[in-house]
Amino acid sequence: MTTQPVTDDDPEQDDTGRKKNRYHFDRHTPDYREKFTEVTEEMLDKCPVAWSDTYGGHWVAAGHSEVFELARSAEYLSNDHDPQNERRGYKGISIPSPEVGFRGGFLEMDPPEQRHYRQLLNPYLSPAAVARWTPLVDEVVRASLNERIETGQIDFVDDLANIVPAVLTLAMLGIPLKNWDIYVEPIHASVYTSPNSPDQARIAASRLAMRDDMMAQLAEIRANPRPGLIDALARAEINGTVPPDFELLGIIALLMGGGFDTTTALTARSLEWLSEHPARREQLSAQRDTLLDSATEEFLRYFTPAPGDGRTISADCVIAGQEFKEGERIWLSWAMSNRDPEVFPNPNEVELDRTGNRHHSFGLGIHRCIGSNVARMVFKRMVIAVLDRMPDYTCDPAGAEHYQTIGIIQGMKHLPATFTPGPRIGDGLEETIARMQVLVDEERLAAPVTDRKGAAREK
Amino acid sequence: MKVRVDPDRCQGHTICSMIAPTLFTLDDEDGHSTAIDGEVPAELESKAAEAIRSCPEQAISVIP
Repeated sequence: MTTQPVTDDDPEQDDTGRKKNRYHFDRHTPDYREKFTEVTEEMLDKCPVAWSDTYGGHWVAAGHSEVFELARSAEYLSNDHDPQNERRGYKGISIPSPEVGFRGGFLEMDPPEQRHYRQLLNPYLSPAAVARWTPLVDEVVRASLNERIETGQIDFVDDLANIVPAVLTLAMLGIPLKNWDIYVEPIHASVYTSPNSPDQARIAASRLAMRDDMMAQLAEIRANPRPGLIDALARAEINGTVPPDFELLGIIALLMGGGFDTTTALTARSLEWLSEHPARREQLSAQRDTLLDSATEEFLRYFTPAPGDGRTISADCVIAGQEFKEGERIWLSWAMSNRDPEVFPNPNEVELDRTGNRHHSFGLGIHRCIGSNVARMVFKRMVIAVLDRMPDYTCDPAGAEHYQTIGIIQGMKHLPATFTPGPRIGDGLEETIARMQVLVDEERLAAPVTDRKGAAREK
Repeated sequence: MKVRVDPDRCQGHTICSMIAPTLFTLDDEDGHSTAIDGEVPAELESKAAEAIRSCPEQAISVIP
């Protein structure tokens, strides 16, 4: 990765003016992770919107105001992924685009289709809908910590942050909770394993098992309806037509991909930071009533679990002072725009009580992360439980393993820690998951908030 | 002081109601925000200003 803006003349004369800000940007290299602060400061300072020659050439937006304007210009920026070339052949939100193309749910659609799906699923994911799940989340968190509490050792990724978001996501979808381990490994490992790793065969096999279960669940819920996001999809009519199964599977995969590894990443990175800053950790625990919300937003800003999204320019336009041509690709960097000193004083510091924190970690505009309310709730419940039951935990830097690259998710593979052992409270994970399944079924917890209000209560 | 949430700009980030839950109500179905009708109580004016400053979509404004 070059850390100097490239100033060579463009061979296409027409474009020299338009593409005068150039930067060799490759977010999929380990170098980008290591030099993230440096690269970000340079782009924000010199070229908040730049042309990069990587991956067939694409724009990169790093500045906060530029990303803000671009992300909210749905009339000129398309999310569409059209692998069969039925419309304009656009490539969706991944740069580079995957070789085997399928649409990644409504995040790779434009309105009005995208809006139909959002309206269908919002009543399962709104703040009021998500609040109903808090008691279940607390139980799964408690039980996960029980499994390690007497030993004085935990891996916050494997033993907590991988488990809770996965169990909750399955519950909301309407999939049996005990199936969580079919889904965790392929989703987690697919994000951090490089395409040429010897581990790919094993991960591919686990991905197939996941896909089989997903298809079986869709068929089962269609035959014997039970409430949840999948039920909504199974009954969906979009623009008067019933969507084909592969489209629905793309949406289920999107909800899982969004629900699992992102919150895992946020939790691991935040717990690691809190271990490195014990005074701040004590302060957060003592002042949680006033500090937990702002601290959560600050961790979201600073760690930006999903670092950005790609788009395709859908009509010639000028946005944020930059001229774009139809068909060009652009990367909107939530992660870099979250470090813009114009909006965030001391952008490279974590300030738990930061105000005016207009971060972009859930995206902006019509594609705002549909699971943002889930992410915040699960993150807060996990962190508070750790602060209560393992207040003196220390992460082991030698065992902490970050993803090698931060192109897709800024996450961690492992985060081992030690702490003063404590007593178990109540039952373990397996028994708790079985009990929670009964609760989900009896209370019809996964029904939309329009049908069922109020938090979960065990009889 | 009165405040307003522009329904065309609000995307349901919910930051405003985290900062000032008595000034902003979130829709049960999609979490989009609506501001209270009347005057913002004097003791909550700084919270209202903080909500305006913190909205990721810049959807909140003071009604003159």
